Amino acid sequence: MRQTTSSIALEVKPDSEALLLSLIARLDRPDAATQPAMTKTDLLARMPSLHFFSLTVFPRGVFDPLFVIEANFDGPAGPFWPQLEAALGPQLRPMIACCKRPADGCGPLYDAVTAPGSRRDLAPYLQTRAGKPSVYHHGNRGMSRQRVVNEAALFSAVEAELDAAGQVAQTWRILPPADIHARLREKLLPQFAWLAQPAPARKTLGEKLGDWVRLAVLVLAVLVVLTLPGQIAAGLVETDRLVIAFVLLTAIVWGSLLRIAGPLEGTATHGRTNLLNFAWRQIFKILIALAVFFAVAMLVVTPTTVAISHLSWREAVIPSARALGWGIAAMVVIVLPALVLWLRWLERRDSTQDAPTIDEAVMRLMREREDHTPINHMAAMIPLKPGILRTVLVHVGHRGLHLALRVFIKDGYLASMRTIHFAHWAFVNNGARMMFLSNYDLSWETYFDDFIEKAHEGLTLAFGSGEGFPPTRLLIQDGASHGTLFKAWARHSMTVSRYWLAAYTDITSDQIERNFRIAAGLRQPTLTPESAAQWIVDL
Amino acid sequence: MSARKSDRGPKRDDGSWQLTEPHAGMAQGMVVSGYDHLPTGEALFLEFAWDRHQRGGAWLAALNAIAPVTPADGKVPRSVSLSLSWTGLARMGLDQRALASFPQAFREGMYQRDRMRRLGDTCDGQWSDCVIPTGPRWSGNTPQLPPEDPASVPPGQVDGTTPITVHAMLLLFTATDAEVAAWSAEVEQALVPQGVHVVHRRPIALHKGDDGIVREHFGFADGMSQPVPFDPDATVPAAAVPNGWNAVALGDVLLGHINGHHDIAAGPVVPIEPDGRTAAAGLPRHPRAGDAADFGLNGTFLAVRELLQDVPGFWTALTREAARLRTEDPHGGDVIDATWLGERVIGRCMAGDALRANGPLPRNDPATPDNEFGFYDDDQLGYGCPIGAHMRRGNPRDGLAQRPDQVRTLREAANRHRILRRGRKFGPPIADRMVDDGVERGLLFLAINTDIERQFEFIMQTWMMNPNFATLFDEADPLVGTATPMSLQAKPLRRKAHLENFVKLAGGDYFFLPSLPALKYLELL
Ligand code: HEM
Repeated sequence: MRQTTSSIALEVKPDSEALLLSLIARLDRPDAATQPAMTKTDLLARMPSLHFFSLTVFPRGVFDPLFVIEANFDGPAGPFWPQLEAALGPQLRPMIACCKRPADGCGPLYDAVTAPGSRRDLAPYLQTRAGKPSVYHHGNRGMSRQRVVNEAALFSAVEAELDAAGQVAQTWRILPPADIHARLREKLLPQFAWLAQPAPARKTLGEKLGDWVRLAVLVLAVLVVLTLPGQIAAGLVETDRLVIAFVLLTAIVWGSLLRIAGPLEGTATHGRTNLLNFAWRQIFKILIALAVFFAVAMLVVTPTTVAISHLSWREAVIPSARALGWGIAAMVVIVLPALVLWLRWLERRDSTQDAPTIDEAVMRLMREREDHTPINHMAAMIPLKPGILRTVLVHVGHRGLHLALRVFIKDGYLASMRTIHFAHWAFVNNGARMMFLSNYDLSWETYFDDFIEKAHEGLTLAFGSGEGFPPTRLLIQDGASHGTLFKAWARHSMTVSRYWLAAYTDITSDQIERNFRIAAGLRQPTLTPESAAQWIVDL
Repeated sequence: MSARKSDRGPKRDDGSWQLTEPHAGMAQGMVVSGYDHLPTGEALFLEFAWDRHQRGGAWLAALNAIAPVTPADGKVPRSVSLSLSWTGLARMGLDQRALASFPQAFREGMYQRDRMRRLGDTCDGQWSDCVIPTGPRWSGNTPQLPPEDPASVPPGQVDGTTPITVHAMLLLFTATDAEVAAWSAEVEQALVPQGVHVVHRRPIALHKGDDGIVREHFGFADGMSQPVPFDPDATVPAAAVPNGWNAVALGDVLLGHINGHHDIAAGPVVPIEPDGRTAAAGLPRHPRAGDAADFGLNGTFLAVRELLQDVPGFWTALTREAARLRTEDPHGGDVIDATWLGERVIGRCMAGDALRANGPLPRNDPATPDNEFGFYDDDQLGYGCPIGAHMRRGNPRDGLAQRPDQVRTLREAANRHRILRRGRKFGPPIADRMVDDGVERGLLFLAINTDIERQFEFIMQTWMMNPNFATLFDEADPLVGTATPMSLQAKPLRRKAHLENFVKLAGGDYFFLPSLPALKYLELL
């Protein structure tokens, strides 16, 4: 089952911020006189596809306050907004009235839904204002809410069977795994009839193909752009001059790069991964990708050559191959290193914030709300570093990260961690800031320590474009490895999750997968001794 | 055994390390030494019973005359260590800016509402079964702020105020019992005129067995696994043993040095005043704050928890539970008895060797249990040392790795949360572990760390008390956690033991263990 992550970011009328906050607070503590009490259970029943929902107000700073509605649910967005309206419409409407009238064509719709006493459907407004995340990650991709809940119930029933005292317990201990499986299945089938049905696929072939195609298109587009300088030069300049220019530029770019690639004083963290050795480890994939690119690009470049040069198809092949060859060579040896040089030049001038202001009251409020259950919510807002290179990098990078997560993360593990249920990034305020919202397992401290220690390169890549980030080097080095600095920076970018609705709060992402494996085994009428031995480890 | 020797021999790390000068002369001795040669001693918990206006460090001068705090620069015939709670520092009149420059965990103390919840000391606002029923007896009694959101506080939430207020903790280490009795009486006499009262005391002893092994009260060999700090500028050896299982950055143990997160472990600062107090004390200028001196350098923090152990309760319950597991397992359960179960609770056998599926882990050195091991290679599924065992929750090593390529990263990640355990026992060893003698005994748990949140609290919250640790479900540490089921991985099917808590918090707080120059500064207040 496909899942959707969506968020709506609305600028708040500054004078209505306090009202908005009190309206949100009232969701958790309804005033019995004015509102019928609506428990979280009621709400969840009215939104049967919802996994996690949050309301956050990012405080004013350089911008006016920003009200963010986050929703993670099963299926497409279309049917969800009416569900949300049915559950929370009367409460959301006055909140939306606290936000500014949009300046684009949505103004009249805003007027209609926020007019005093309005009964116009909210859903269309929500739908038009909903943003598309730049990156999202679903740790238990394809697990619908109903399935998560059903399989958790199955897990409890399995445990209860196994731990029943006396004679029953004795029998479990003498059976081989395959028989334990068969007996459990027999006992549980009446209560869990769905065990007899085949498991719905978590990802359809179409989804998988779609992800691959999108990734391929992105990679192709990036390669086209990066090989253009070399191709154009090859078209304009004779080979001997081209060689001279190539050698000269290579010397200049690499000379400068080597001169400034090292860490600034006191910022080195001696990590094991850098761009070069990372590329080296992927060398075969890179070579194959380049070969494929060459082949595909020839199909485009040759006709183009024919069209602009009056050469015949046969004659056009060699000059086309020459242009492409130079394009690729220049990309690898000059263009990419030049971009890295540009980036490094910027990095050396970045301002890093050593002591971000942390409002202790806000911090206390966050802590008061954290760690009541194994699953927590966080919301962060990050202003982006300026400049064209940074802007292009962060947008292309997010697209690439998004597709790479979709294609390559098969078991929910990011590096060695599986602590995220639903997380997403989205650009807001016309791309001046990005927000990050996550529904994750364990405490905030752990969640971040884990990433710092186990995936600091990825963290640096994903957040390094944020203002004030600890000193980074060549895109993925240092940065988040400065754990103490990074955590202070991350805390300071966060704000209180004012309202959080979760369909389940104690089934960790890891446990969902464990329940999934147990259920998958029990759906099989029989298991071979080998697969039963494997399966039983999870009980 | 020989196979292990040859494949791990060259990398072995005997765990010994020293500080170099000037740091050795500045840090307190208990950082580098557990004082194995000083098996007896006493912990004196002090309150500054002054009127509101009195302050200052005169009492430290008086203490210095008879029990000067011991530096980390050599073996001594007796030793003193002194640490202060936040309220202690405040009472002595430490500058407001200095007090505010301490990390939040220390400023708030162990009984801040959210901390108590995260440490598992409270549950739904009430004391959990990890705490004695009356609530802890002593702490620094740090003043608490009201909640920002009153609705986040459960009704009837206990407040962490304790009957006894402790401003400072003085540890005396000696070679004999007689020596400590005389010395502590002398110290107390010298402090009373200064208005400093001993409000609580505990003997602190090693009680080494005849075999030279230190056992905690339940009877398990203890103190085997300790982190080994390294720093190119301040320790010998200066670098981590390659692939060492216990290497940590010195900054995780002492403030002012590079820590496991590649930053200088930031400590508190004091303003440089015209009266030259900072200079007289020998405090260096702070590297970042131009007008302040570094009050933290070579100091550190102590997480202190006085834990009462109900030894007969523990063994009686294990005997009962072992009998139940045995009857459930008519064909393979003969090995199960209380000791078998107790060893699984800890993760090491009584003699201290880590458990493996086919017996204890062989030793490299016949005299001591091995501590150079991971879990991934030969016990990933917990058939030897159960996944939820105390030792494994206390330090999962590489056991959380899912694939071989994650082993190194996960081992290094686990090592960034280590604590240096300097705890000692109080109360006499029990004569018969099954018979209640009515005597209070337990562990004065002392953990040295520079980042309380990333080290002590992380271990407690993310590993010990985490109901979902390592994909277990709804379990807690079987030794120090609340009453809990415990999965005992086995073939064909895991067993599940049901355990109660027999280790209860009776007092504790976070303390600052200052460097000697910082103590000098306090004395000059
Ligand atoms: C009365 C209470 C306690 C007793 C009897 C006890 C006993 C033990 C024993 C027997 C060991 C194995 C020996 C060793 O590896 O040195 C151990 C290890 C350990 N314990 Fe405890 N412990 C207690 C409380 C705590 C608490 C409250 C913590 C909280 C942080 C803790 C953290 C650890 C750690 C980190 C290890 C080392 C694991 C390793 O590095 O392999 N212990 N404990």
